[in-house]
Parts: sequence; structure tokens; C-alpha cells
Amino acid sequence: MSDESLPAPRAGAPGPGARIGGGTLLQVGLAVLLAFLCLAPFALIVAISFGEKVQGAAWIWSVDPGNYARVFVGALWPEEFSGLYLQRLWYSVLYATLGAVLAVATAFPFTWFLTRTGRRAQTIWLVFLLSSVSVSEVFVVMGWDILLSNRSGLPMVARETGLTDWLKAVGWFDTLRGWGLANPRDLKFKTSATATVLTMTYLVWPYAVILLYPPLSRLDPALTEAARTMGARPATVIRTVVLPVLRLPLLGAVMFLFVYLLGVYVTVSVFAAPSQQTLAVSIYDAVRGATLDAPFGAAQSVVLLAVAALCLWFGQRLGGRGA
Amino acid sequence: MAGLALEGVGRDYGATRAVGRVDLAFREGELTALLGPSGCGKTTLLRIIAGLEPPSRGRILLGGRDITAMPAHLRRFGMVFQSFALFPHLNVRDNVAYSLAISGTGRAARHARADELLDLVRLGHLGDRSISALSGGQKQRVAIARALAQDPEVFLLDEPMSALDAKLREEMQVELRLLQQRLGITTIVVTHDQREAMSMADRIVVMSEGRAEQVGAPQEIYDRPDNAFVAGFIGRNNFFDAVAVPGGLEADGYRLALEPGPAFRPGSPVRAACRPERIRLGQDLPEGNRLPARVVFVRAIGSERDVHVETPLGPFVVAQGSGLQGGDGIAAGREVALHLPPGALQVYPAQSRPREVA
Repeated sequence: MSDESLPAPRAGAPGPGARIGGGTLLQVGLAVLLAFLCLAPFALIVAISFGEKVQGAAWIWSVDPGNYARVFVGALWPEEFSGLYLQRLWYSVLYATLGAVLAVATAFPFTWFLTRTGRRAQTIWLVFLLSSVSVSEVFVVMGWDILLSNRSGLPMVARETGLTDWLKAVGWFDTLRGWGLANPRDLKFKTSATATVLTMTYLVWPYAVILLYPPLSRLDPALTEAARTMGARPATVIRTVVLPVLRLPLLGAVMFLFVYLLGVYVTVSVFAAPSQQTLAVSIYDAVRGATLDAPFGAAQSVVLLAVAALCLWFGQRLGGRGA
Repeated sequence: MAGLALEGVGRDYGATRAVGRVDLAFREGELTALLGPSGCGKTTLLRIIAGLEPPSRGRILLGGRDITAMPAHLRRFGMVFQSFALFPHLNVRDNVAYSLAISGTGRAARHARADELLDLVRLGHLGDRSISALSGGQKQRVAIARALAQDPEVFLLDEPMSALDAKLREEMQVELRLLQQRLGITTIVVTHDQREAMSMADRIVVMSEGRAEQVGAPQEIYDRPDNAFVAGFIGRNNFFDAVAVPGGLEADGYRLALEPGPAFRPGSPVRAACRPERIRLGQDLPEGNRLPARVVFVRAIGSERDVHVETPLGPFVVAQGSGLQGGDGIAAGREVALHLPPGALQVYPAQSRPREVA
């Protein structure tokens, strides 16, 4: 066959490599849309954080790093140092860490036993947990607010049942006072760091179970049985086999819940003492509250985001080293 | 240790009886294979012995001591699991040393013991390797070394070869048997592979529907199956229905002599069997016990062949071995005669039917 029998390519027609299909265009379009949706709000906040508040008015665009300085050293620095917002950042990290760790620590044994029950029981529990996820933070906080209220909640129950008197008689009441969980007469949960962390834990507990369920149900039972045949007691099996094997899913669950809890607002504003509020509450106050200082709120948001990213990076390093 | 004994051991799951009442004695230093089809209760029985399942009835005795209620971690029987169950977060050496680590043995001593065991299974150079970087055969050897680390009184293996390819499986069967003989450890292997059981075990326990159907040496079970199930499960067999008559059988008008004579009352319906390699086919056949047959298929594999024939008593397979001469005229469609030697016929009660075995 001679070359002449082949049809000659038309001048100017694109070759197969240069052809762009409709699918490729769709993919590029979706990627641009996703990038815009993810990056645009963040870029906007970063830009606003350098803005300048105008007294008695809104704010103007600017390139002023003063908002960041105010977060770290206070508005009057260098004359006067104020660690108020660093303290709020500290409480954000503290509450989120405690809430996430407590939720995963308590959800782990529950999920462990759940995966060892029958299929029907597992389904009922999971449906119940999933439905509890649909309850909003406001509703949960309202319930805990009543449960922990000094007049009609658990302190009242303790008083009426004589538990408070018994605690006083055995001397444990003073210990609870030392922890900020009692006033001179009664038990007191509001306001306290304990109530804040407990409510946060309750808030994310169903998520913890749902996150731990897949890795726990996939864990090969032969691993724990092998350990048992080699002389390991049940607690030793958990410590030396189950926890190390599930180290990454456990760490992942803690990190996920930590990030979620960093932004919790209603729980902290109801249960935390005014001196122990978090950066999330402070951001809301700046953006929507009395000060209407959006640039300062944006600067706090960027700092909170950076700290969250730092914590995630640290967690990933920790997990990576374990793996 | 004076051996392991099961007395009336059984296990129920609700209304389902997984294991009936099993009485078995495992002799010290012997390798016993629990052999049976899927769902016959052999793995459940092994798990009961290991302490991973509580028995619903019966007793387990180790050296005369009742260990029925003893938890698995106190029995410390070395066990190799079907999936090997190696710990992915530990390297090879730490996997082998696990039992020593949790019992408080010092790091140097347990690593020395682990290296010694890894040398025994020819993996001494892989102590630092991650479990995920091992092949199937290497994983199995690590699992064996790990189970032996605590010097167990009884060594249990649950389908240990099932995750290996055919070639590796045969190699590991020989290797495991040699290791077991060298250590002289009482060993129980669960398998559904009769070749594996026949090639490794001192004794085989053939199980079916939660019962031990027959216990004996591999050749004894092959030559003298106790019932039609065992006759059908161990090796190949040709079955046909017959009626007991004085001195033999009668099937579809053909009279077949038996040696020794049938232990059935004359007139009783029976199920008879004859191994394919015991049947003779072709010319110069002895008098009596003959059947006419038509060859339907010849499956030749080198110097051996299976001849599938149709007879008045049903289809038969005749296995012809290495002495085979070419050009004997055996081909599909050919009319031939079969001879069922009187000493090769096995007879069972008519109601016991062999299960189809792949």
C-alpha cells in the first residue's frame, strides 16, 4: 500500500493530542468552581483581617497588621501587654482537645462492644446515634442547661436527695469547691470548665462512635484471639494489640472532633465563665456583637485557622511516626 | 504431659448444633488432623480446645487435669490462624517475641529466643522486616514461629495452608511435618484437604455434621472406611445399591462375591463401594464378579488414565496406573468387562449415602 492511499490531514485541523473533549472541559470547570468556593471565602477573610476599623462606622480596606498584633500582644502594646486573646485561644484549644479526647475515649469501649453485638442491635444503635446527630447544638445546650442549672437541675437533685450533705460530711464537698464545682452551699456546674467540656463531649460523642465504628468492625477478630492464645489477658489485648492497630483511626477521630469543637459557640457562651471564653465567642462578638469590628474578627479567625492547621500537622506527624 | 482428651465435648449456637458429643484422645507428640467438609464443626472443635469458644457440654482434659473452664490466655496453646493474624504494628521479630514480651521476659532474652525460632523456620535474616513486606509462605512461617515461642503443650493450626498456592502448600506440608517431628509437640491441624491430612497426619479424625465419623491412621481410613461418608470423602469411590445375599451381594441381577462375606442379614438393602484403582478392566479377567460395561470417556494423564464406563449398576470410574500398556483398545464407545475383586468391595447400610465431594 502506497502512502498516497492515506487521506491527507486537512490543513489547520487539530491532531488527536490537541483535541479537548467535553469531559475535560467539565473537569476543568468543576475544579475552578471548587477552588473558588474553597479559596474565595478564605482569601476574603485574610484580606479583611488587614482592614481598618473606622470608629463609629464600618471598616475600610487597608494593609494594617495591627489586628494581628492586637491578638498576640494587645491593642496598647508596646506600652502595655495584654494576653486576653491568647488566653481565649488557649481555652479554645484546651476545651476542644479535652472534649475530643474524652469523646473518643468514652466512645471507644462503647463502639468496641457495639461491634461485638448482633447485627440487629448494631443497626438499632447506629440509627439512634445517627438520628441524635441531627439534633442541633442549640437544642443540646438547652437540655444540658436545664440538667446542670443550679435551681432545677442536678445540684437541686443532689440537695433534695441528701447527696450534698453527705459530700459535706465526708469532706469531698470542699474538694469539689476547689475544682469550681460548688458554691459555699450547693453543687454548682454553671458556669464551669467541667460543664463546658462535658457538653462539648456530649455534642460530638455520636460522631466519635460513627467515626470509630468502621475500623473497629473491620478489625480481624483473629488478631485479638491470637493474642489471647499467647497469654494476653483482655486488658493486655486492648493495650498491646487493639489500640496500636487502631492508632491511626483513633488519632484521626480525635483530630476531626478537635477541629469541629474549635468552632463551637453556643456551648461556650452558655457554660464557660466569662474569663474562660474561647476565640470562637470572641470572633462572633467582633463580627456581629457590640464592637462591629470585622477586621479584628477576621484576624482572630485566621489565627484560629492557623492553630488548627498546626495541630493537624502535628497530629499527622504523630500518626505518621506511629505508622 | 499425658496427652489431651475430649470427653463428650459439644457446642450449640441456639438451636443449631455445631458439634455434637465428641470423644477424642490426642496422643502426646502426634500430629492429628481434623478433616471434614465445610461446616462439619472441625474449626469450632479446635476453637473449643484453644479456649476461644466455651463448650456447651463435655470436658477437656490435659494430662488428666480438667481445663474446660480455663480461659485461652491461661491455656497458652500455640495457635496458627487461617489468616495468620500477624500483628501489623510489630515487625517480624517482635511478632515472634510477643508472648514473651507480655509475660515480662527481658528484651535481650526475648529477642534471642525470637531469632532462634526464626532460624528454625528459616527466616533468621528477616527479623527487622515489616509484616506487610512478607510473602504468604513467609507470613505462615512467622505465624508458626510465634505460636511456638511460648513452648506450648499443644500446637493448634486452623487451615494453615488455605492461603497458600498449590506448590507452596505442598512444600509447607513437608516442612511443617518435619518441624513437628523434630519438636515432638502434640499437634492438631484442621483441614478440609484430604491430601494435606493424609500426607501430614499420624492420625486423622474424619468429621461430618458435628460428629467424629472415624478416627485412625491415614492408610487405615483409606483402606477400611467405617461408613459410606468416610468412603466417599477420603479418596475416590464407586458406589452402587445392592441386596445382601449369603456370601455376597446381588445387584440388578448380578451376583457379586465378597471376602469376607457381608455382615448383613440376607435380603437387607446395602450400599456397596469399590475404589477405582481396585477395579480391573479388559481381557484375561478372573471368573465371577464381572459386569458388562461401555466406555464413555477416557481421561489420560501421561502413563495413568481414568476410564469412565457405564454399567448396569450405574457409572463407574476405573483408574489404571503406571503398568499401562498402550494399544489395548480401550476407547470411548467400546464394550468391555469389569471385574470387582471380592476383597475390594466395601458394604455399608443402605441409608448411609456418601456426600458429594468436589
